[in-house]
Amino acid sequence: MLRPGGYSTLITPDGPTVEADTFTCAHCNKVVEVPPRADVNFISMCRCCMKPICNSPRCNNFACDPIEKKLDRAEKGGSFFL
Amino acid sequence: MAKYSANNLLAGTQQAVGATYKTLVGLSAATATLCRGKAYDVLIGTDGTPADNVLRWDISRQTAAGTGTSATPVPLDPADTASRSTCLVNDTVEPTVTASSSLFVVGINQRASYRWVAAPGSELVWPATNANGIVLRVLSPGYTGTATGEVLYEDQ
Repeated sequence: MLRPGGYSTLITPDGPTVEADTFTCAHCNKVVEVPPRADVNFISMCRCCMKPICNSPRCNNFACDPIEKKLDRAEKGGSFFL
Repeated sequence: MAKYSANNLLAGTQQAVGATYKTLVGLSAATATLCRGKAYDVLIGTDGTPADNVLRWDISRQTAAGTGTSATPVPLDPADTASRSTCLVNDTVEPTVTASSSLFVVGINQRASYRWVAAPGSELVWPATNANGIVLRVLSPGYTGTATGEVLYEDQ
């Protein structure tokens, strides 16, 4: 993955260490693991903030609501999720 | 910003893993020292008798703390002051977790260890709102031993 948002490492006693790139959803902060050689369409992009988002309906089917907005809302006493 | 390490061996008694979620580490903001927090490194594993069981690890958002042992996160730089975030470990009563707010779920074999590291800008962030934060928790349909979890984070 080009410019991954993170990296995961699974260490097992019986097999090889499994490593994978991850990205963090720009709308809900969820960590998504990207399988090796994943199709380019595996990652959804928000066409408003132009950042990777997860496939959750809450992130994908509604207007752009970035995590920063959610944090601001929660800090002003509002609801974290719309 | 100051960085800290919090794990469930810092304080309290490790709780047995069971069929319902057990919180190992909970990090949240506190009114007196309000600040955002960013978790950027998570390490998980078990320290019970080795066997083949599945464990489901989860990080979700909490809006109210459970009942656990208060731990003092360790500053990665000894020159830093104490963390402004609240850290509860080895909960005996689960915190209030926001429905469908899971940030991280991974099912792994009991014998395995797992680590996730965030690139800068991709951390798990919690708001500067009292008692709001994240919890690292685990369940297993078969394993009844203890587990270890560590979260590295920074105060904002």
